[in-house]
Amino acid sequence: MSAPAATRVLLDGVGKTFVDARSGARQRVLADFSLAVEPGELVAVVGASGTGKTTLLHIVAGLVQPDAGTVDVGSPRLGVVFQQPRLLDWLPVRQNVTLALEAAGLDPAAADDALAAVGLTDYAGSYPTVLSGGQRQRVAVARAFAVEPDLVLLDEPFSALDELTARKLRLLLQELWMQRQRTGMLVTHNPLEAALLADRVIVLAGRPARIAASYRVEAERPRSPEDPNLFDLHSRIVAAL
Amino acid sequence: MTATDVRPAPAAPAPASTAPRPRRRLRGGLPALAFLVLLCAAWQVMSALLDSVLVPGVPRIAAELVEIVVDGSFAEQLGITVLRVGLGFALAFVVAVAVGIAMGRSELARRFFEPAVLLGLTIPGLVWALLCVIWFGIELINPVAAVALSSAPALMLTIYQGTRSVDPDLLEMAHVYHFSRATRLRRLWLPALAPSLFAGARLGLSLGWKVIVLVEVFGMSSGVGYQLNNAFAAQNVAAVLAWTLLFAIVMAVLEYGVLQGLERRAGRWRKAVSV
Repeated sequence: MSAPAATRVLLDGVGKTFVDARSGARQRVLADFSLAVEPGELVAVVGASGTGKTTLLHIVAGLVQPDAGTVDVGSPRLGVVFQQPRLLDWLPVRQNVTLALEAAGLDPAAADDALAAVGLTDYAGSYPTVLSGGQRQRVAVARAFAVEPDLVLLDEPFSALDELTARKLRLLLQELWMQRQRTGMLVTHNPLEAALLADRVIVLAGRPARIAASYRVEAERPRSPEDPNLFDLHSRIVAAL
Repeated sequence: MTATDVRPAPAAPAPASTAPRPRRRLRGGLPALAFLVLLCAAWQVMSALLDSVLVPGVPRIAAELVEIVVDGSFAEQLGITVLRVGLGFALAFVVAVAVGIAMGRSELARRFFEPAVLLGLTIPGLVWALLCVIWFGIELINPVAAVALSSAPALMLTIYQGTRSVDPDLLEMAHVYHFSRATRLRRLWLPALAPSLFAGARLGLSLGWKVIVLVEVFGMSSGVGYQLNNAFAAQNVAAVLAWTLLFAIVMAVLEYGVLQGLERRAGRWRKAVSV
């Protein structure tokens, strides 16, 4: 096995207010928000729509600058799966992965292994436009894990997919996660997805968002979506929501 | 596997559109041919009725046309003109891509360049032609600058508008994966801007053709515009028409043949839609 994960995410007293460009209305999404994600831990952030989950993830990814507080992530190599695949439609599937590999200073040949891991070897030379939504999202997952990320950020990665496809991809994600130690955050509004994948589930509520509840998931990996313990946890998360 | 190895989109009624293609193409060309025949006939009738040296008949124009092509002067003069337009257009294109993207990305850049673009759009090509002849004389920079100055503003505007339609989600993706500046430009910005670039190229080239002829009429001693001016001075209307026709045909081929070919190539990733 490779070296243990070293990346730690520390948010301390983070605040973020969005100003509506048209109406000038101010929305305080986060205020004095603190969270620590330990090395090797996968933390799921659950909450209703508009509770600032994605904002939180974007702050960690460096896509949004907080107005207040400190964000200490170091400079990890990121692997991000967004809600939409965000592929370059004009490049073949393989090249979508090799671009990320080249940017990370890795061997572009690893793209084929990454695509094989998500079962898309046959489509490596195809353009993303001819793939189904689930296949496209698998490319995005392959890209995120191909770069050997220190920090994996997943922003409602399967919410745009049908339940059957989402279920398959969750198990695939679990498999990829187990291959190597790393740190991660998963934003989702699916409590079962959070319970299945994460080491810790935090529930966000209110505006500005606060941590309404926090659960540790002790079950060993690989976990099964049918595990009654997970379902029990799922019920408790739903109750907290 | 190569990039061209694309699985065809699962469009059901595809076979219907492949079989009768040759006949359809022929039929598609027929109206255009009919127009051209009718135009020549009408011109010939007008010429016969007017019976003036200022309105030469079709055979006279055709003879002039053949002579220009056969004695090699057309290819030579056209080459000179196309080179000038090409250089000027390339210069305008490079500058416009940089300025257009900057305007789309930064409010400060937009405010800074906007007056230049608006002024540039309103200044007639004739003025650029005159000024460049005055300033640069017969140097190569004269036609190049005139073409660049007259086509750059339109290019900048279309590219600027194109940048505003580039998906910000992809920019975020490029950011988190630390794509280099060169990769971003080559793999994200240029392909995403391709439709605007082609639209801008069409517009810019059509402005360039018009200006280059003016510059060559006023200040050059070679090129299609110079030949037109010679024919005009000799009151050889057939030659003026012949040069104009040839020039227009070549420009149309360049624009529709070359640009459309490139555009199709750049857009081959697009899914075929059958509705």
